[in-house]
Amino acid sequence: MFVAGDGAFLDSTGASLGFRAETNRLNQMLVHLRRVMVDVAIIGAGQTKYGNHQLGLKGMWAEAAENAFASVDKNFDPRQVDEAFIGSVAFGGGQLGNTAALLTEHSGMEGVAVRRVENACASSGFALRDAWMAIKSGQADIVVAGGIEKMNDLSPERKRFWLGVSGDTEWERLAGLTFPGTYALMARRHFHEHPSSHDDLVHISVKNHKHGFENQQAHLRKQVSFEKAAGGFMVADPLTLYDCCPTSDGASCVILAADHVVRQFTDDPVWVRASGAGSDRLALHDRPSITQLVATQKASKSAYSAAGITARDVDLAEVHDCFTIAEMIATEDLGFADSGQGGIFARNGEGIRNEGSVCLNPSGGLKSKGHPLGATGTGQAVEVFKQLRGSVESERQVRDAEIGITHNVGGSGATCAVHVFGRDRNE
Amino acid sequence: MSETTEWKGYLLSHSNGSLLLQSPYIHDGSTVFGPDSDSTTMAVAGIQYLLAHGQKFTTIRLPNSIDAQVVYMSTSVDSPQRNEELEDDVVDWHLIDGEEATLVLSQSDDNHYEFDEPSGTELMDTDLFKDMKAAWEQECSPQHVSQGAYVSQSQYHEGGAARLSLASQKFAGKTIWPPRQMDSLGTRLPREDALLADAATVESWTKLSAAGAPSEFSLRAPILGGVQTVLVKFEEGPRGVFLVCDDVDYSPRIGDQVHFAVRRIYAQEGLIRYGLKAIPHSV
Repeated sequence: MFVAGDGAFLDSTGASLGFRAETNRLNQMLVHLRRVMVDVAIIGAGQTKYGNHQLGLKGMWAEAAENAFASVDKNFDPRQVDEAFIGSVAFGGGQLGNTAALLTEHSGMEGVAVRRVENACASSGFALRDAWMAIKSGQADIVVAGGIEKMNDLSPERKRFWLGVSGDTEWERLAGLTFPGTYALMARRHFHEHPSSHDDLVHISVKNHKHGFENQQAHLRKQVSFEKAAGGFMVADPLTLYDCCPTSDGASCVILAADHVVRQFTDDPVWVRASGAGSDRLALHDRPSITQLVATQKASKSAYSAAGITARDVDLAEVHDCFTIAEMIATEDLGFADSGQGGIFARNGEGIRNEGSVCLNPSGGLKSKGHPLGATGTGQAVEVFKQLRGSVESERQVRDAEIGITHNVGGSGATCAVHVFGRDRNE
Repeated sequence: MSETTEWKGYLLSHSNGSLLLQSPYIHDGSTVFGPDSDSTTMAVAGIQYLLAHGQKFTTIRLPNSIDAQVVYMSTSVDSPQRNEELEDDVVDWHLIDGEEATLVLSQSDDNHYEFDEPSGTELMDTDLFKDMKAAWEQECSPQHVSQGAYVSQSQYHEGGAARLSLASQKFAGKTIWPPRQMDSLGTRLPREDALLADAATVESWTKLSAAGAPSEFSLRAPILGGVQTVLVKFEEGPRGVFLVCDDVDYSPRIGDQVHFAVRRIYAQEGLIRYGLKAIPHSV
């Protein structure tokens, strides 16, 4: 193809291709504009109860998917799904390969383009991001993001093996560290550098148990007193049992749709206003600071900027509190408290539902709701979806909730995905 | 009478240019190794002592009971046991496996040495000795399949010099440890060839309960009451995480000075994985 003197396109025979070329150019511009302009909403979301399940992988996933399908207000047919992204660490190694295809096969999505997403505990946070990007790119209209983990069918020894596979095995693991140990190092250093103490972590534990007590989907539905949480069995000094999340079985499923098809499914969507993500060095000792997570800072900065908000605009946040110190540090990295002031934030009860400045972990968080590794990220989105639509149990509804975020961390902070959700689209 | 010196958890005595290393632990009248020591860790300590005290040598003859590859990665001192090109009769030093938990380092291959009884020995608790011995025997058995995260032989050896001798990379005025492959511009970094100083400051620490410790330690952590780890910063800038030596009664504090000794970490597929463990500066 050649360009003639007047700018018209000629093919190899000299015939004018100007009209066709112009049409192609316009089509490319439309695709580009659609990529930039398309908004993404959650039209349905569901999960299993977290805890000790008798169900296996297929049964748990089917239950989560069934709940998500049922939450769509108008008719939904899983055969409409264009793509699916399912997060899982494949804990236990029972179905390491092709996990996602096995699950979609058993949930009415046979034949859909599917893959497993693995980023340790942030697996489904990134599955959600990948689903969002698939729609934003204009390549898909209806996409499923989900996650699953089966953790409690292993011997204690095998479980401990799998709990430590997401750190830097060559260096951290050979130094005796599993994640309780890694986060314990962070906690002790935080206490040394900032005005914080273990009592502040106890406040976080008590709050999250209080929130989770009222959540029918939570793994640990029990309130704990300050005294009991403060005196728990020492797991990794200074972290006690009440600073550590449980190992849970569970699955979660979120259905996303492009704006031009949303109204086919619901008049009450929850918009994904932004997705941000970041990464950091895997090993704690390779980072300049161990009292902040750079990946969280990058992810939240990016997400807030794209959504046009600040931390002060957030009404509720599902925060990755695999250990209470993780919530304290996230409080700072997400901008709810100034750097080093996370302990004071917790001490003052700032994260308590309908009492503090923002509700942190209305579901109970990983600490109480539970932490089925690969399911956690989209499980957080299930909670925000329900909170923003006012469909959680009435006693635990965050009042006047308009904007919620999810914060999903992989390992000790090597990966992080932050999503901003709203009742309204971005302006 | 020669003076006894403490060095990396062992007792050292000199006699006519030779060096005796001995475990400080006595059990049932015999000298025995501590909870994470063996002939290889003591051999490394002895060679490091000689190198740190002015002896310049590159070769040594080792008995077969000692892991020659670990000695080489820890000290850069080679041996005919590891390197077939080395002639057995032209080595600089000889290491002789002594009775019980003792070794002799000498520049001759004479097998007859006389040393005074070193001072500073201590009795080892019988239960601890028996339990740890049984645990290591079980762990080192080829039939024992570790549930630990799989650090393969090649991955272990790739980082061996850094893990066992604190070999670091020097690049653009910075010291890099543990070794990295590329800088932020995508430039391949040089091989590690500069040793960090054997001194670091504790920046944080934890003690994992036996229930929380990695499964590699599942046989021994209950005996030791858990696993203790320190995060340290070296004088040159890099940070690292290390187990605390099992035979040290030590409760770390932020700001403590520590140094390092090669010790057993765990066993996998019948082979012992060695690494550096932290010892408080006062020991």
